[in-house]
Amino acid sequence: FKLGKIGFTALTLSVMDEAQKKEEQTLPKATVSKLIKEMLPKDVRCANDARDLILECCVEFIHLISSEANEICNKESKKTIAPEHVLKALKVLGFDDYIEDVTDVYERHKTESQEVPKRSRKLEDTGVSPEELARQQAALFARARSNFEQTQQQHPM
Amino acid sequence: MGRKYQTKFPCARIKKIMQSDEDVGKIALASPILISKSLELFMQELIDKTADITRRKRGKCVQASHLKECVATEKKFDFLSQIVEDVPDKEKKPRSKKNQKDESAPKVKAANNKGSIAHIVAGPSE
Repeated sequence: FKLGKIGFTALTLSVMDEAQKKEEQTLPKATVSKLIKEMLPKDVRCANDARDLILECCVEFIHLISSEANEICNKESKKTIAPEHVLKALKVLGFDDYIEDVTDVYERHKTESQEVPKRSRKLEDTGVSPEELARQQAALFARARSNFEQTQQQHPM
Repeated sequence: MGRKYQTKFPCARIKKIMQSDEDVGKIALASPILISKSLELFMQELIDKTADITRRKRGKCVQASHLKECVATEKKFDFLSQIVEDVPDKEKKPRSKKNQKDESAPKVKAANNKGSIAHIVAGPSE
């Protein structure tokens, strides 16, 4: 059955689209493999099928916590799954022993994200006046324009 | 607090996986980060307990059957039972040419014998 160039491209893109969608629903194999290696004792290997299963278990864990956190979120009449919902979900599902470490990560994230807004005033920090900046910009444009025109003469597009 | 592991889970991917559930709406920025850490702890626990079983069986390589046994032993891993249910309980040993016994042939049990000779199957018997 003849597809023609356009049909072939469309089919290829839709197959790639499907593959990409599937890829978005799982974790990167390389990441999980590296972690398995880091977590196992140095002298213990892991069979390939066991590795694949561990990856599936990880994805399933995400679904489990996410689904429970979403329920908790709905019960509180909230629209956004908040970190507090995730922590409650861990408790409900029997993963209380994770709560301390996960809370530490949350605290660290909160302090780190407070430092960010200071950096956004980059332009004011340079100590150069707006007029001077405009002059510098015009000079840069002029230089770029002449460079471009020179290359045009040598290699017209 | 130092990073225990070099490798991290991609938070953007975690968020996509969460959103594959149609019920899930908006997700706060920090939430996938917390799930990432939880996942790391979960993976560590799963691997630790499975490796214990491997060691107990004097193996040097973690097998799918060890994982299955680990899941069966822990109540908090109940949600994984469907993932491991197709794993055979006993590890299949590689066949050597010397050993001609075909272990997968149906074993003829006297108790199950309905008296029909047709049940006594061709193939090497025990």
